[in-house]
Amino acid sequence: MENEIILETKNIIKDFPGVRALDNVSFYLKEGEVLGLVGENGAGKSTLMKILSGAYPFPSYSGEIFWKGKKCEFSRPKDSEETGIAIIYQELNLIPKLTVAENIFLGREPTVGKTGIISWKRLFNQAKELLNLLNISIAPDENIENLSIGKQQMVEIAKALSYDARILILDEPTSALTDHEIESLFKMINSLRERGVSMVYISHKLDEIFEITDRVTVLRDGKTVGSKLTAELTRQELIAKMVGRDIKDMYPKQTVQINEAVLEVKDFFVNHPFLLGEKVVREVNFQARKGEVLGIYGLMGSGRSELLTAIFGSFPADSAGEVCIEGKRTDIRSTHQAIDYGLGLVTEDRKLFGLVLGMGVGENVTLSSLEKLSWYQIIRKQQEHEVIEKYTQSLKIKTPSSETTVGTLSGGNQQKVVIAKWLATDPKILLLDEPTRGVDVGAKVEIYQIINGLTKKGVAVVMVSSDLPEILGMSDRILVMHEGRMVKEFLKGESTQEKIMFYATGGNDGS
Amino acid sequence: MGLKKKFFQQALIKKYGNLIGLITLVIIVTILTRGTFFTQRNLVNVLRQVSVNGILAVGMTLVILIGGIDLSVGSVVALTGIIAAMSQSLGTIPAIILTLIAGAIIGGWNGFFVTKFKIPPFIITLGMMTIARGLCLVISKGQAISGLNDSFLDISESYISPPVAITAIVLGFLVLAFFTAMQKRKKRLNGQTSNSTIAGIMNILLIFAAAAFTIWLVSYRGLPMGALIFLVIAFAGMCVLRRTRFGRYVYAVGGNEEASRLSGINVKLVKFLVFTIMGVLAAVSGMVLAARLNAGVPTAGVMFELDAIASVVIGGTSLSGGYGSVGGSIIGAFIIGVLNNGMQLLHIPSFYQEIVKGIIIIGAVLMDRKKK
Repeated sequence: MENEIILETKNIIKDFPGVRALDNVSFYLKEGEVLGLVGENGAGKSTLMKILSGAYPFPSYSGEIFWKGKKCEFSRPKDSEETGIAIIYQELNLIPKLTVAENIFLGREPTVGKTGIISWKRLFNQAKELLNLLNISIAPDENIENLSIGKQQMVEIAKALSYDARILILDEPTSALTDHEIESLFKMINSLRERGVSMVYISHKLDEIFEITDRVTVLRDGKTVGSKLTAELTRQELIAKMVGRDIKDMYPKQTVQINEAVLEVKDFFVNHPFLLGEKVVREVNFQARKGEVLGIYGLMGSGRSELLTAIFGSFPADSAGEVCIEGKRTDIRSTHQAIDYGLGLVTEDRKLFGLVLGMGVGENVTLSSLEKLSWYQIIRKQQEHEVIEKYTQSLKIKTPSSETTVGTLSGGNQQKVVIAKWLATDPKILLLDEPTRGVDVGAKVEIYQIINGLTKKGVAVVMVSSDLPEILGMSDRILVMHEGRMVKEFLKGESTQEKIMFYATGGNDGS
Repeated sequence: MGLKKKFFQQALIKKYGNLIGLITLVIIVTILTRGTFFTQRNLVNVLRQVSVNGILAVGMTLVILIGGIDLSVGSVVALTGIIAAMSQSLGTIPAIILTLIAGAIIGGWNGFFVTKFKIPPFIITLGMMTIARGLCLVISKGQAISGLNDSFLDISESYISPPVAITAIVLGFLVLAFFTAMQKRKKRLNGQTSNSTIAGIMNILLIFAAAAFTIWLVSYRGLPMGALIFLVIAFAGMCVLRRTRFGRYVYAVGGNEEASRLSGINVKLVKFLVFTIMGVLAAVSGMVLAARLNAGVPTAGVMFELDAIASVVIGGTSLSGGYGSVGGSIIGAFIIGVLNNGMQLLHIPSFYQEIVKGIIIIGAVLMDRKKK
């Protein structure tokens, strides 16, 4: 089966302010081939796909893209679509209130002559033909909102193929599917492959990669680190390619005396926010102890952030199980209660969830601790000022003044403001969700030093991170999550990047 | 140096832009009316006219700061006016208390639906606007209810006598100056960069000019009670927003609701309270108006919500919430008041007045956009 190369990229470089997201990425895709694209969170997969889809238009990157040997430049999404590339995103782009047929032919509905009036008969017939051809058993006049996620995805794929797409890019296609739906998706992928459609299959689930792909290309830190036929690849080999980032000497971890547990989580379940019966966190048990940094590693969709927000009482779905703080069972229903229990949560996205960007640095720092700084309703300005000064100095927040709008600071300084806000509440347990994402190296080290300072004071730190070296460098203990479960615990020094990735991608001690 | 000067000018316009707009407007109107506008008698009249809208604008500032809107205030002004008029027989104080409670209930109702059922404020207050207007007509049977107690009329019609008013103003400004100086000193002790001397002198000049102007104004007949109520509410509004936890939370909720919730703020309570306060202030405004008209009028207050919203927007508060001030809204209320009064003095037909007002509102928002 010596098929022709349909798509090839050469030396793609894409820079964002301060970071190089893609560094000389070259890969190719043959006709009728399913290529697995794997890499850690932030390895550059989505950036690469956005370049192929024209979402990052032509001159914003350097390098070349070839379609069947011919050079092309996608300066808008339509160019890429017309060439024959279609992306099925994790979040589906269908209109729930319209029918399957209307969604498939959105914007190019068959009309009666040139009147602009839709010919419903032809619309439904065309949709039916297409769905039959693809062996999809969905009625073309069904409303999208009545279909399961799996069926909706099929409609999306049918829509893409109706544009004569020759390449389908599937971005984490199984993240919201049931086992049965995954099975039908794989059937469809197989039949498309036979028809000569090429596919790029992006997934964190290595089992799926081994089951469905012909070849795997691995990205790490924006570079292609290898490409190999799936049949010739072992799981260990693949994981070794994905991780193996240098652990630079930038983790100033100081181990302190670890004392009794302050946070105990027992048999903890969290429901999916909108899929009934689904759970995003299952049967989680763990403890966090005074003076300890507990690292939690998991890939996208492993339930790590959901776990933290649910413990903090701010996840928009119900949870079950026990959360005990200092041995007492709690029933935290609001963030306000969580703060009273001595919990703090540095959220993942500081712009959306961490800061009030239009307010001053100082006002953000004291937002969670104003109660302590007030006489009834009146804010004690002098005390507030002292607290702001204390934390801007001790966390080295670089700001012209405490009244400066926080949105004008750099990412690292913004993150320090979020941390300062929680330190000002004097927490016993601090939950950190991706504390150094989008932060420059200098500020990273400063944040690690802040963590050291906390453990020295006996605070229990629970840190979720996608950054393996960071997890390894800063944690006293590491928990690995996969599909909502705690699948492995490592003590300091027991683990390596490979071992953690092995469990995070669904490997178990049996395999 | 030139750049610094330009930057300084921009900062000046940003800070005092609305005030400069108001002063320019006053000068234009004074010239056009050949001075009739700028007489003590007329200015006191303007002050009384502005009071009703100004009280609403203070509440509306809070509502808009949390990213909301309240379209029902005009109807609530009429309804509370009627409630006050109908409960006169209970005595003036009980009538006032009853009316305030009614306002709180209406505002609380709005707040309840906004927070509990997540209904957009636009919709729920639009509904309340019609409900309250209908209730006005039902309970008054479509008739104006007159014959208010003399002591109730004092809410709008009495004057604080010139000597008392002047003494109060002098004392008030002295206290203000004292606190400003204290704050400056504290800031300097804390090592913060204090404002430049020019800005400091500007501030002092402004305070003195304001003091001199108000003394001149009240030396005519004194300070109208309605205006006093407005000024007290405005001052209280500023203090609440600047000095209290609640005020800080209002800005936070408007700026980023999700981050506020995750910071432990009871977002629902803040929103509920803001709408309740709006209801209470609408009741105060309703009573001042009823006292001025010497009747509860079921058709009163039509379009008052729009004047209040316009005042807030002209005053520079962002309609998406999180940014703005009561001070700006008060200046906005005065701009609208001066416009209304000036156009009346110039005998511009009321149809045209509406058009001019609309253009001014759009212009003010455009200016605001440009500043950002």
